[in-house]
Amino acid sequence: MSSYKELVDNIIKPYSAILFLDNKIAGVLIILVTFFNSSVAISGVVAIVATFVFAKAIGFKGEYFSEGFYIYNSLLVGMGIGFLFTPSLTSMVLIVISAIFTFALSFMLNRLFSNYKIPILSLPFSMVTMFIYLASLKYSSLYSSLINNTTLYDIHFNSSLYYFFKSLGTIFFLPNAIVGILLFLIVIYFSRILAIMMLIGFYFGVLIHSFLVGSFIQALTNPYTFNYIIVATALCGIFLLPTLRNLFIALVGVAISVVLVDAISILFNYYSIPVFTLPFNITVITFIFLLSMLYYKEFNYNIKSTPEESLSSYLSSIFRFGTNMIKISLPFSGEWSVYQAFDGEWTHKGKYKYAYDFIKIKNGKSYKNDGLMLSDYYAFGESILSPVSGYVVDARDDLVDNIIGEVDRVNNWGNYIIIKSDFGFFVEISHIMQNSLMVKIGDYIKLNQVIAKCGNSGYSPEPHIHIQVQELGVINAFTKEFLFSEYYIEDRLFFNSLPQTGEVIKSIIINKSIYSRLIFILDDEFIFDLYKDDKISGEYSFCVKMDSKGEFYFEDMEKNRLYFYTDITMFYFYNYIGEDSYLKKLFVLMPRLPFMYNKNIKFIDFIPVDLVNNKIKTMVIELLSIVNKNYYKVDKEFIFDGNKIVSKEGSVELSRDKKGFDKIEYQNIKLIRR
Amino acid sequence: MKYEKPTINKVDFAMSSKYGSPVKTQKIRTKIDGISVNELTKKFGTPLFIFSEREIEDKYNTLYEAFSSRYPDVEFGWSYKTNYLNEICKIFHKLGSCAEVVSEFEYQKARALGIEGKDIIFNGPYKPKEDLKIAVKEGAKIHIDHLFEINDLEEIADELDMKIPVAIRVNMDTGVYPQWSRFGFNYDNGEAYEAVQRINEGGKLYLTGLHTHIGTFMLDANAYAIATTKLMKLKEQVESAFGYEIEYIDLGGGFASKSNLKGIYQSAEVIVPTADDYAEAITNAIYDNNKSDKLPKLYLETGRHLIDEAGYLLTTVWGYKRFPDGKKGYILDAGVNVLYTSTWYNFNIELDKRYEGENEPSMLNGPLCMNIDIIEENLMLPPLDRGSVLTISPVGAYNYTQAMQFIRYKPAVVLIDKSGNPRVIKEVDDLETVNYKER
Repeated sequence: MSSYKELVDNIIKPYSAILFLDNKIAGVLIILVTFFNSSVAISGVVAIVATFVFAKAIGFKGEYFSEGFYIYNSLLVGMGIGFLFTPSLTSMVLIVISAIFTFALSFMLNRLFSNYKIPILSLPFSMVTMFIYLASLKYSSLYSSLINNTTLYDIHFNSSLYYFFKSLGTIFFLPNAIVGILLFLIVIYFSRILAIMMLIGFYFGVLIHSFLVGSFIQALTNPYTFNYIIVATALCGIFLLPTLRNLFIALVGVAISVVLVDAISILFNYYSIPVFTLPFNITVITFIFLLSMLYYKEFNYNIKSTPEESLSSYLSSIFRFGTNMIKISLPFSGEWSVYQAFDGEWTHKGKYKYAYDFIKIKNGKSYKNDGLMLSDYYAFGESILSPVSGYVVDARDDLVDNIIGEVDRVNNWGNYIIIKSDFGFFVEISHIMQNSLMVKIGDYIKLNQVIAKCGNSGYSPEPHIHIQVQELGVINAFTKEFLFSEYYIEDRLFFNSLPQTGEVIKSIIINKSIYSRLIFILDDEFIFDLYKDDKISGEYSFCVKMDSKGEFYFEDMEKNRLYFYTDITMFYFYNYIGEDSYLKKLFVLMPRLPFMYNKNIKFIDFIPVDLVNNKIKTMVIELLSIVNKNYYKVDKEFIFDGNKIVSKEGSVELSRDKKGFDKIEYQNIKLIRR
Repeated sequence: MKYEKPTINKVDFAMSSKYGSPVKTQKIRTKIDGISVNELTKKFGTPLFIFSEREIEDKYNTLYEAFSSRYPDVEFGWSYKTNYLNEICKIFHKLGSCAEVVSEFEYQKARALGIEGKDIIFNGPYKPKEDLKIAVKEGAKIHIDHLFEINDLEEIADELDMKIPVAIRVNMDTGVYPQWSRFGFNYDNGEAYEAVQRINEGGKLYLTGLHTHIGTFMLDANAYAIATTKLMKLKEQVESAFGYEIEYIDLGGGFASKSNLKGIYQSAEVIVPTADDYAEAITNAIYDNNKSDKLPKLYLETGRHLIDEAGYLLTTVWGYKRFPDGKKGYILDAGVNVLYTSTWYNFNIELDKRYEGENEPSMLNGPLCMNIDIIEENLMLPPLDRGSVLTISPVGAYNYTQAMQFIRYKPAVVLIDKSGNPRVIKEVDDLETVNYKER
């Protein structure tokens, strides 16, 4: 039963995957479109079924299928054979054989390629069809059923667009303008960015080609122009984010594929093999390899079902959570000043430039009296708190604290501790007070734990805390760039930023009571009485659920989903799937809650565009943010006091003695916990 | 430079000790909270206690934030016995402290300052019954010290025809010496549990809080983790056995100040735990041991830690002499009559300016005609003259409240407020003060 449903799912999925979409409806529509040439359609289905049956027979795990490319390559091969031969027993045998081989080859290539974080795209298809077309030259029985590559209906109109649509259809072995138009409509419905990139890719490729061959018509009628289309979409939208910089990369890629199409076609025509997608595969795989090795920042690390979703998710995450940079908390409590920041004027230079020094200042000075005694310094003897959770990998505290006016030039780092964070990087803290370490090598320490006292050992002219992030867990290792995940200045909270030299900042201590009220367990249910204009008008409830990727969400009665995450320092919502609902409103009212207790701390958070705008406006903003990502910024100010979060939109109150929320309030709506 | 009689000094090679600079042979303080020491002595005379409001607030905010950032419900109770000068108490109440009193006198003082009964914690082994009754009526938090008090309270409950909410004080072994076992009921031998059982059987009182105070000048923050753990365990025990809801736990005080205890040779910055150390120990122990849905309110009765470093004593050299053993002896206008804690602590003694001449071993004596009046027995000082002013600190805790009406009048007290204005908050006593109530 479930395997029947799985089969249907797996038949539908690869169709949309070929157009880089991840949508069942799109899949069904595309299947229907393929029936413009029933030979192609039937052959495709046969190939998928054969692959699926074989995979099941050898015990292939279902979850691998969800990645799609194991099957869509087989599908392409099947359709490719169907394109050449009318369905017959012989052609079916050939389809089954080649589909299974494609599947095996896909698996092998994927395992090899994934070591380098590159996709296999339709490379297995390109390779297998090459073999099949070569082999079929010998299978005389097949030739009797050679068909004319025609589709049922077609239209002709005198425009370059006709060739664009035909080219689009060719992706599914259906060089037919109606098919192309239908496919294009499907694409527009699901992703405007994809549709635009298809047009740009096609016309730019044709333009370059006509420049090279000297004939626009020749360039326009080339049967392999679909390569330009898929190169452009892959490099600006799918594997790379849809941004201006990537548009440029995509155009370069398209130009390269033009040359490759010509080169390969000369070679392949000799053996009567069509070029198909080989130029696309070579171009895109080369670019992705290069860019992923460079940790290119506009790489799409989290591919969503459409480029729009990828872009939204990327922009939300950079606005809300900074980039992928390392983030640590401050190594102290209370109010300290930045003495030296990155690229500091004294010692933070060269390979050691990514470091921070902190001192304590009162009335403009870091010491009381005349500052000749260590004990005159406000920082001396203050607690050092762990800025991360992790293991202590190295530490010493045997060096004396220098008297004021002297420094230890031999042991520059002084007494220090190196902590290996749970996230893999290392944090080094220097100039610890002699004999003040409270933890030892091998201990697991938690964020905010008191680990030592601030001292004046090593190359330190006055007591201060030096902190840096390193890639290696040894002293003297080079430093790495990082951000402070949260701190506040006066009453304003900053996330993932770097304070300036001289700035007075306060650290945040994780309040476990707030944390414990936001640890949700599967099936926790929250029931609210719903009030409209202070009159009770029903109830509303949601429940904690987990999806197959292990992501947690609240789900209400209408199956709307609000995804949340409980980090070590805060709770936040990051995704919403569904229609208008109170859950959607909850995201807007309380996008995140830092686990901090303080009187009325203000902070800014960014709300995903689609939560506060209608569909049309969202589409427009998504398109505009390709050009300038600031269009995507919807910033709102929140005030949080440890129990209640308030903004112009409304407010959410935490329950005091149990998990969850007591009261959600906005406009004339009130939800009160039962 | 004036002629000084030659002396023979031992050559001191330890001039640059671990925490002292070789260039720093004289400790000098010219200002207290921005106000010149000489100006203060000229205007108000000596001996003179000085308190800095700014320093009190800084210390309070640091400790309070260390707790409040980690724990949602924490309140400080100002320990009246540490310093009950009205203006000082007012500063703490303004900052959000309730009052912690240990006698009817302190209770009355808090009431006179406008503190409501419900904001007073009534501790101590001796609570006269009549005053206890008033405190009950006014809704004070009564912390029971011994079984006799349970009887007293039950009688009061009958008299007032009400059920009285109470807390008990608990003592315990927290691994520190000496163990404070004189107050309250012992946890380790089950006495505390039995006391709650007795309260439950009486049916006239009900338990809402648990209190402990594990000692004074505690240099080990971990002792508080042990104390908190034991209180939390007791809380869970009595809640499940008798159905009480323990609304609060009170960890008392005992947090050290940056003062130098005699017999300890490391500097205060090195051995005294920080606010974070104490806060982390206590709040983690609550979180780790909390078995109920609701976290208890946390009270702390920190005195010394909050006020000690904000208090200074200015004293003037009245004369000096050379003792037969060659040591120099200075006669000051303040002695042990106003520095009760000099028995236990080595104060920080600072000069009003740089003096010329070699340091020599000196003894500081007070004005009392008593052999015990020694503030410092052996201190390296340059030759001082009549009129030289010394600043003695930290002296904010206990010294004023324990200052004796002995031989001389109790001195005046000046508060430097937040805007930097010094003002007298208590004048020097006079004959009338001393003779008041005498017949």
